[in-house]
Amino acid sequence: MTEPTPAVLDEPIPEGHEPSGKRGARVITREMVTMLTVPPILVAAVFGGFVWWRQTAELDVVEANQLRWSLLINSRFHEVFPSWNPMDWHAPFPSWNPATWYDGPLLQGLIWEHVLLTVVSAVIVVAIAVPLGVMLTRGGLKVLAPIVVGIANAGQAAPSVGLIVLLFLWLDGGFWTAIIALSLYGILPVLRNTIVGIQGVDPTLVEAGRGIGMTGWMTLFKVELPLSVPVIMAGVRTSLVLIAGTASLACFIDAGGLGEILQTGISLFKFSLMVTGAVLIALLALLIEWLGRVLELLTRPKGI
Amino acid sequence: MWNFVKERWDLILYNALQHANLVFQAVLVATIVAILLAVVVNKFRMLESVANTLSAIGLTVPSFALVGLLLPVTKIGATTAFICVAFYATLPILRNAVVGFSQVDATLLESAKGMGMTELGILMRVRLPLAWPVIHAGVRTSVQMSMGIAAIAAYVLGPGLGGYIFTGLTQAGNENAVRYALVGTVGIVFVALIADLLMLLLGRLTISKGIRA
Amino acid sequence: MTETGGTNSDRAISGAELRLDNVVKRYPGQKVAAVDSLSLTVPAGEIVTFVGPSGCGKTTSLKMINRLIEPTSGTILIDDQDIRSDSATSLRRKIGYVIQGGSLFPHMTVATNVGVVPKMLGWDSAKISARVDELLDLVGLDPDRYRDRYPRELSGGQQQRVGVARGLAADPPVILMDEPFGAVDPITRQRLQDELISIQRELGKTIVCVTHDIDEAIKLGDRILILQEGAQIAQYDTPENILAAPANDFVADFVGAGSTLKQLSLTRVRALDLNRPTTARVGDDTAPVMQHAEQAGDETVVVLDDRDRPVAWPWLRQMRNNPTVRGEPRENLLTIDQAATLNDALDTMLTSTHSKVIVTGDRDRYLGVLDFETVTDHMRHAEREAAEHVEQAQRENGVPGQGRHERTPEDSHD
Repeated sequence: MTEPTPAVLDEPIPEGHEPSGKRGARVITREMVTMLTVPPILVAAVFGGFVWWRQTAELDVVEANQLRWSLLINSRFHEVFPSWNPMDWHAPFPSWNPATWYDGPLLQGLIWEHVLLTVVSAVIVVAIAVPLGVMLTRGGLKVLAPIVVGIANAGQAAPSVGLIVLLFLWLDGGFWTAIIALSLYGILPVLRNTIVGIQGVDPTLVEAGRGIGMTGWMTLFKVELPLSVPVIMAGVRTSLVLIAGTASLACFIDAGGLGEILQTGISLFKFSLMVTGAVLIALLALLIEWLGRVLELLTRPKGI
Repeated sequence: MWNFVKERWDLILYNALQHANLVFQAVLVATIVAILLAVVVNKFRMLESVANTLSAIGLTVPSFALVGLLLPVTKIGATTAFICVAFYATLPILRNAVVGFSQVDATLLESAKGMGMTELGILMRVRLPLAWPVIHAGVRTSVQMSMGIAAIAAYVLGPGLGGYIFTGLTQAGNENAVRYALVGTVGIVFVALIADLLMLLLGRLTISKGIRA
Repeated sequence: MTETGGTNSDRAISGAELRLDNVVKRYPGQKVAAVDSLSLTVPAGEIVTFVGPSGCGKTTSLKMINRLIEPTSGTILIDDQDIRSDSATSLRRKIGYVIQGGSLFPHMTVATNVGVVPKMLGWDSAKISARVDELLDLVGLDPDRYRDRYPRELSGGQQQRVGVARGLAADPPVILMDEPFGAVDPITRQRLQDELISIQRELGKTIVCVTHDIDEAIKLGDRILILQEGAQIAQYDTPENILAAPANDFVADFVGAGSTLKQLSLTRVRALDLNRPTTARVGDDTAPVMQHAEQAGDETVVVLDDRDRPVAWPWLRQMRNNPTVRGEPRENLLTIDQAATLNDALDTMLTSTHSKVIVTGDRDRYLGVLDFETVTDHMRHAEREAAEHVEQAQRENGVPGQGRHERTPEDSHD
């Protein structure tokens, strides 16, 4: 029937023509697709190139020593679990040699150190910055929020090297000093985005929550936090990138990481080591950024 | 601490100016390069996502890694520092310039064309002034970011205050170590603050009153 | 006459009486009180609309009822019980709250949004989902189609419908609405208003509705509260009385000129006689229906579904091609509720090529068809009566009421 002018003014979304194919799916833009596909391909290609070069190039003694695979990444699984063979499904449970358990971490090597520095710092950052950011949007602390956001914006000018070196001089070197420095440096983006994200939640939705009888905590956990997750997670990604980059400076204070290869390369003035160190640092940073994006996508509530 | 600074005041001031100078030159070059790139990107729309992807990847690469990649080509010294700072400075400006240009109202461009302006005239008198607030914000971000990157570039003997931080590192145990590191770190924060104020002033002077937020 | 407090004895009332007693709201640092000693009784089961210029304190007054704003002094009673006798959150769970645009939580599905309050009240999930479906049906959304959608996938009008359903979810005796239909286009707004009136006819809640639109206030309200600065009551009465006898110049100005046209928004479609042209069911054989229609001299046939809801309105020549009568998605057919005003009816007729409009009752059940002539006849009649009224008043008083010549005569139909 077409005759009475079909005044379907109330139905701008016609049936069968949903905005994104699958109903309720998260909106994925083209740029997100590019950023989710290009970096891993790039990383795989460059890393493949590196492996090929490492196996075929003629290295001198110093180079060969500095670029041993066991120095880059090493696992002690076979030492600790001598009989573990995932292929053998008759004996899936490994025998365990407890004598070797305390000899060192299961995974070793510069790559692993770098990852560990980044992940531990990032976890600490999230654990501190998100609750702190939430607190700064509540009650009397609200007045401090603009100051914190201002400091967070200015904080990017503070040189990361300076922070690391000062903490080193104060606390001495090592893994945990590096962790403190990285966490301090990475906390600002997450803190800022948590505050901005929660403040950015439509106030009428918060009032709607209160108006239908939600308590303060319910409004926070059911309305404000879910709606600010995308902004908070963008901050987490920024923070991950900052931490992964700054972790390359951990070598200055004896906390390991891939920076060591680059540092050795610069002090020995060996181009092969410099480039290897630089490339590996860059690849790991790209990979971590990519993981941040995946995390961002997965944690985003549906419907937004 | 006060005596330490007083004794070396001239040198510290000199290094601060060097630091500012390095950042200023690098950001200046970066701005010009970024705007030119943005003009090209704006002409071919398909390049937009390429530019955005590249700048996102570029910003992810840690500056220390770029230093390592540049060293074999540019050797130790100011050149490496300059290229490194300029590279990172370009990326936020490029991103903002692309956005800024694409936000310029198409009808304004058409009316400018209709008045008989040349391509260059439209760029200089319509597109650039209208996109300038967004580009300016990108430049401001770049300046702040460059301050920290210049500090890292001091590891390969780039000019500026970063040198003090590495002096502090190598003199660990010495009573002056902390002072050196503090002078370097706090000095850079100061330079960054002053630079930011100058950038605000520049914005006041260069952004047309008609479109100022 | 439109429904007033006195005429609802024949329907179920699930609302509760709401009383405000000397309620004051004074913000610190402000000399003038935002709400200055407001006393008001809203009878159970009525819609009261709060209107007034912006800043008159109408929203503040509303939000004091569910304690989003705490009054500085005074008491508010629901069913003779002080609202402060319980915690604010448990009070709010017993009061429906509907806001402009629906204010749906974008990260929750329609069903979750509607079920939020029942869930907080600890209903079990089977009861919640049954309630959700019932409410979606009540507000005219097919539960199977809309239950699992996110607000982003709904049009503005649909979001607002879900917002109303959320307000009704826990079957609260009192519902507060803050500019409920402010964010949708005029035609959708008219539909939503009709639906609200229809729902209210069925449920008999106590509804307080804030609006800045006097036409909306007249249409929705059993009573209208017109507020001046500081929530001073300018007039609190039925729409008819306010139009007929504005209490003062402020009310007269606010109600505005052109009140003969306002008369159109005062008269409901149900007051007029409806035509009953030929109807058919979806799936009926076409031939006998056509024969019946031709005998009755009808050019069109109203097609109803199994729940008596009109689904299509074809011309005879359009039906000829199909052996059985066919329906269409119900949303494609523009109908009006019997509570719609003549103003709405005329609007709808003008967009339709029939120059008629289908009128429905509770749950969209078909009632009849209203045509243009009936409306114009009614208007002519009403105008004549109004003129007589004014003449009579002039004869009695000797003066035409203090410079307000356009003063509205009593609503005269009924």
